[in-house]
Amino acid sequence: MAENTQFSYAPETLSEISSLSIRAIQLVEGLLSGHHRSPHKGSSVEFAEYKDYSPGDDIRHIDWKVVGKTDKYHVKQFEQSTNLKCTLLLDASGSMAYRSPDSKSPGMDKRDYARTLVAAMGYLLLKQFDAVGLTLFNDEVVSHLPPRSKPSHFQNILHGLQDMEFKGITRVEEVVGNLIERLPGRGMLILVSDLLTREDDIFKTLKMLNSRGLEVILFHILHPDEVTLPFEGDLVFESLEDDPDLGLDPFDVRQQYQKAIQEQIEFYKKNCPTLGIDYLFLETTTPLEQVLRYYLLRRKSLRKI
Amino acid sequence: MNFSFTSPWYLLGLLGLALPILIHLLTRRQQTRLKFSAVYLLQQAQKRSVRKSRPNKLLLLLLRCLAIGFLCLALANPILSSGELQNTLMSRPSAHVFILDDSYSMSASSDQGTLFHHATQTLNELIEKIPGNHSFSLVLASNPARMIQDWTEDPGKTLKWLKAARPSHRTTSIGKAVTAAVDLLNTAPQENKQIFILTDMDQNGWNRDEFPAALTEDSRIQINVIDFSGFQKGLNRALVKKVKLGQEFLTNRRIIRVQATIANVLPDRAIKQLPITLFVNGKRQSESTIDLPAKGEATHEFSFPLLNNDPVSGYVEIPEDAMTVDNRRLFVYQPDHKIKALVVDGDPRGVAHQHDSFYVEKALNPFSSPMADIEPTVSTLSEFSERDLNQYSVIILCNVRDLAIGLEQELEKFVLRGGALFIGLGDQVDPKYYNEKLGMLLPVVLKSINQVRIEDKPFHLLARPSSHPVLRVFTGNMLKEMERIPFRTLYSVEPRRDRDFKEPMRFSNQFPAVIESEFGEGKVILYVSSLDRDWNRFPIHPTFLPWIQRWVKYSAQSLENISRYDVAVGAPLVLEEMERPPLVVAPGGKVSIARKNPKSPPVFEDTHRPGVYELYQWMNLSGSDVEDSPSPTPKQLPGDAKRVGSFTVNIDPAESSPGKVSEKELSQYFPGTQVSYSPAEQALNAASVGAGVPLTTLLFLMLAVMMFWEGWVVRKE
Repeated sequence: MAENTQFSYAPETLSEISSLSIRAIQLVEGLLSGHHRSPHKGSSVEFAEYKDYSPGDDIRHIDWKVVGKTDKYHVKQFEQSTNLKCTLLLDASGSMAYRSPDSKSPGMDKRDYARTLVAAMGYLLLKQFDAVGLTLFNDEVVSHLPPRSKPSHFQNILHGLQDMEFKGITRVEEVVGNLIERLPGRGMLILVSDLLTREDDIFKTLKMLNSRGLEVILFHILHPDEVTLPFEGDLVFESLEDDPDLGLDPFDVRQQYQKAIQEQIEFYKKNCPTLGIDYLFLETTTPLEQVLRYYLLRRKSLRKI
Repeated sequence: MNFSFTSPWYLLGLLGLALPILIHLLTRRQQTRLKFSAVYLLQQAQKRSVRKSRPNKLLLLLLRCLAIGFLCLALANPILSSGELQNTLMSRPSAHVFILDDSYSMSASSDQGTLFHHATQTLNELIEKIPGNHSFSLVLASNPARMIQDWTEDPGKTLKWLKAARPSHRTTSIGKAVTAAVDLLNTAPQENKQIFILTDMDQNGWNRDEFPAALTEDSRIQINVIDFSGFQKGLNRALVKKVKLGQEFLTNRRIIRVQATIANVLPDRAIKQLPITLFVNGKRQSESTIDLPAKGEATHEFSFPLLNNDPVSGYVEIPEDAMTVDNRRLFVYQPDHKIKALVVDGDPRGVAHQHDSFYVEKALNPFSSPMADIEPTVSTLSEFSERDLNQYSVIILCNVRDLAIGLEQELEKFVLRGGALFIGLGDQVDPKYYNEKLGMLLPVVLKSINQVRIEDKPFHLLARPSSHPVLRVFTGNMLKEMERIPFRTLYSVEPRRDRDFKEPMRFSNQFPAVIESEFGEGKVILYVSSLDRDWNRFPIHPTFLPWIQRWVKYSAQSLENISRYDVAVGAPLVLEEMERPPLVVAPGGKVSIARKNPKSPPVFEDTHRPGVYELYQWMNLSGSDVEDSPSPTPKQLPGDAKRVGSFTVNIDPAESSPGKVSEKELSQYFPGTQVSYSPAEQALNAASVGAGVPLTTLLFLMLAVMMFWEGWVVRKE
C-alpha cells in the first residue's frame, strides 16, 4: 500500500493521510468481503508510446534501456484496458468546512465525511481497476488530478485530499464549464457537494454534463445542523462563504429554513432522475458503507445494461 | 393642554430609563457568533418569516421604559389642565386681577340670559379653581373703573358678590380698569402677575389714551382677554339716541313736541318701518314707524297737547332687539305758561319812551297784564350781570354796547342749555366787541353801519309770504305794510366761515334783516337794526307787536327745559342753579342728598340707574340746610319738602355701537406685553373640564398594563 514513498510530509499530515486511507480501505474492504471480485481484472496492456516521466508515474514503467541510452527518464505508456474513467469532483468551498458547535453532535464533520467518501470511492474504483481522477473546486478549479487506474494513484488522491483547504464560494457552473474539456469523453463524474450556493442553474450544468455522455452521480452532503437548524438563542451567523453576518433568533426562522432546505433536497430528488443523474442525499450521520453499497449496486446495474 | 406636577421631584426617576436601555445593550453584547454554511438560506427564511424575536426585544425595551416612565409620572402626581387660562392659573404662585366688564353692552341677550351672566359664570369657575397660594382681586370695567375686591386668597366673598351681580347701565372703560389693575399688581409681591379681562370687546370701551403707559415697561404682566361676544344671540339693531322736548308757544293751544332721534347701528342693512312709541306719564301716547338707513339715523317728531301745568315724564321706545337697554330713552319736562323774557336796555334814557327797551317791553306785554303769555323784565346793563339767567327763557339785548367780563360765557351757557338770545343793534353797539367776544353765538360778523340820508330813499324790508313759523302769519296787507316801513340805518353783516344760519327776513337790497342760528339747545336771533325808533319806524308799526312776540315765542323753550338736565349714567350732575344741595329721589324711591361744595355748586354723583330723578328743597326743623343738620339723610322724603325740579339719567348711546375690538388689534393696546386671547366658549369649556384632573390613577393603571404586557412577551419568548 505504502509503496510510493518518494513524497515527504510532516508526520501529522502523514498520520492523517494514513488514518484517511485506513478508513477508506477498511470501508471498502469490509464492503467487498464476501462479494464477487470485480469483473475488471488487470488485463494485459499493450505498449502505446513513451512519455516523459512525471511524479506519480509508476517507476516500473520507466524504460531503463532508454535511460541508459539517453540518460532521460521515459515512461512506457500502455493502452489501458479499464472500462471506466471516473472523476471525483469535490466541493472545496467554505461551506463544506462547517463544523457543529456542539461537540456531541452526531456524525462526522462535513469535510471529513466528504473526504472519506471521496477517498473510499477512489480506493474502491482503483480496486476495481477503474481510472480515478480528483478535482477540487470552489469558485474555480483548485486542483485537478487526471484519472489514473494504477493502484498507487490512490496515494495521489489521498494527498490531494489531505492538502486541500475548504475556502471560497461554490460556483459549480463556472467550474464545470472550465473543466468540461478536461473531463474524459465518456465516463463517470461523481460530484460531492453540499450544493449550498446562490446559483440558480446548477441543474442546467448537470444537464450539460449529462448531455456529454457522462454518467453523473451526485452526492449531496449536509450536516444535520444544516437540515434542522437546531440552534437556540440570539445568534450572529457568520458565513463560511461570502455572505454578510446575520443576527437573528433561529427560533424565528427555523420553520422557514427547514422548509427551504427540504424544498432544495426534494428538487434534486425529483429532477435528477429525469436527467439520468444518480442523486443521493447524505447527512453526515449516514453510514458511508451505505453509500458505497449504493454505488456498487449502481455499477452492477450498469454492467447489466 | 398641559401637565403640571405637584411632586415634580419624582420626575428625576425618569433617569431610571437608562436601566432597561443598559440591560438591552448588555444583552446584545452576549450574542453568540456562529460560523454557518447556509447563511443565504437563513436570510431568505428571515424575509419570509413572520416571527420577530429581535423586535420583541425592542418591544420589551419599550415596555420597560414606559413602565418606568409611567411610574415616575404617577409618583409626580400630574394634573391635566386644559386651555391656556387654566395653565396660567395652575402655574406657580401668582397674583391675578380679574377685570369684569359690567357695562350695559354686556346685558345683550344670549341663550342663557345675558353675556354678563356668562361672564360671571366663567369668572366664578376661574376663581373657584385658583389654587390656595394664589391671590386675586376684582375690578369692574364699567366707567368709572373701580375695585370691588382687594387682594385676597379667599374666594368666598367674591363668589357671593358674583351671584348677586347684575350688569350696570354704564359705558365701558377697559383702559381705566387696566390702569387700576396695574396699580393693584404693583402692590402684589408675587413675581407671576396676570390680568384677566372678561369682556364683550365693545369698541367703545377700548380708548387707547386711557391705557396705562407703564404696562409696556412691565412685561412680567400677562394679559388674558376672554371674549364673550360669541354668546350674543341676535343683533343690536337700533337704539333711541336722543329725545328732545320743546313747547310750542306759537299756537293757541299749548303743545309739547317730542323729537326722537333713532339710530340704526347695523352697518350694512337699512331698517324699514321700525315701530316707535311715545309713552307719556306711563300711558301710550302715540305710535308711528320710521325708516332708518344703514348705519344712519332718522328723527321723528311727536306732539301732544298740554292739558295742565304738571311736569311731563315719559319715554320713547322701539321694539326689543338683542340689547334692550338702549331701546328706551326717558325724558322729563316741566311746561310753563309764561315765557319769562329779560330785556336788557343798553341805552337807558331819562324819558321812558326813549329807552331802547321801551317798545320791546310794550310789545311783549302791551297791557302789563299778569295773564299775558310773555312776562318781560327790563334790566339795565349793570343789573344784567347780577341776574340769574336760568330764570328766563329769552334774553333780549337792546342796543347793548358790550357786556361785563365773563358775561358772554354765561350767555353762551344759557343758550347752550336751551335759552334764546335776541339781539337788537343800535348806535351804542360796539361791533368790535360783538365780533370778537360773541363769536361763538353769532354766526356773522358786524361789518359796517349802512345809513341813508333823510333825502335819500330808505331801506325797506323785502316782505314776501314765508313758511317760517314766525313769519307765516304775515300775509296780504300786513306784508305790504311791512314793506313800507322805512329803515334809515342798519348793519351789514358777513358770514363767519363754516357756520350755519338762516336769513328768514331780508331787505330789498338783499341785506339780511334777521339772522337766525342755533347754538347748543338754544337759538340766537340777530336783528340788524334797532329795536327802538332810532334807526327805523318799525317799533311804532302795528306789525311790530306780533313780530316781536312771535320771535320770542318761537325761540323760547320752557323754563324747566333750561334747568332740566339729561345726564349719562354714572356721570355726576352739577346743579349749577342751586345754592343749597337738594334732596334727590332716585327712580326706586331712594332718597339721597347732593354733595355740597364750599365754592362750587352742589354735585349729585349717584346717577347709576337710568330714570327720572326728582329734586326737592327741604329745610329741616332746625331751619338749617339738610347738609348742616346733624341728623342723617332722611330715608323717606319729608312731607314738607318742596319739589324744585327733575332730571333724567339715560344710558350713553356710545356703548350701543356694534363695533368690536379684534384679536389682532389687542396687541396695539398692550405693546410689548404678552397678550392671550380666547373666545369665552373655549374658556367655559376649559373651565367645565376642570383645571386639575389628576392622572395618577390612570398612570398606575398604565404601569400595570405595561408590566402585564412585558410579562406576557417574556413568557412567550
